[in-house]
Amino acid sequence: MIEILFFGRLGDASQTLRVELVEGVSDTDGLTAWLSAQNSALAVELEKAGKRIAVNKTIITDKAPLKDGDEIAYMSPLSGG
Amino acid sequence: MTAAYLKICDESFDPEAEHKAFRETIGGAGAIVAFTGLVRGEGEDLTLTLSHYPDFTESQILGIAKQAESRWPLAGWRILHRVGAMKAEEPIVFVATASRHRRDAFEAADFLMDFLKSEAAFWKSESVDGKTRWIEPRAQDIDDKKRWTE
Repeated sequence: MIEILFFGRLGDASQTLRVELVEGVSDTDGLTAWLSAQNSALAVELEKAGKRIAVNKTIITDKAPLKDGDEIAYMSPLSGG
Repeated sequence: MTAAYLKICDESFDPEAEHKAFRETIGGAGAIVAFTGLVRGEGEDLTLTLSHYPDFTESQILGIAKQAESRWPLAGWRILHRVGAMKAEEPIVFVATASRHRRDAFEAADFLMDFLKSEAAFWKSESVDGKTRWIEPRAQDIDDKKRWTE
């Protein structure tokens, strides 16, 4: 089981998901493609904003392998202050 | 030793009380610079809602503050940031820095705010008359941040 969190406008397209790792999905690129195939509204937002991804609360700069128990966060553009 | 304090709070805070509390922690410093960001506008129509990524956001801000500590000789810094629902005129962010001389405190506070605006993991939406829209960094916010890396 992995947990997928969506923040900002991505959260409008999809709330937190807990899913079994899907066969054929072994890294974050694969997960993004799988999510996009499941939900067209989310696909649009991931395309626009889904470049900032954290795995287990660490930002990744390249695709990262996934394993059972991982927490993956997709973040739309940040806006504080 | 730098007096460091970070709080992400889901209730309103009092910037004056924070300033006073900060002042008590930075013995010997010659300068404090304090910035308070408020929810723009007036009246009851607007609600601003901020969310964050618990633990991730805190560790990210601590990383930004460490960068500030390495760039300027700071006696201390204090950051409070609101999350949750806010109305116009409420404080949303408080950043204070202290140093021996004023320039370091001015620059460090400016640096911290620029990073909080566009690099810290907060998401902001605005609701007016039942219509909600996400607020994302403006080009100006991105340019402001670049000042520190170019």
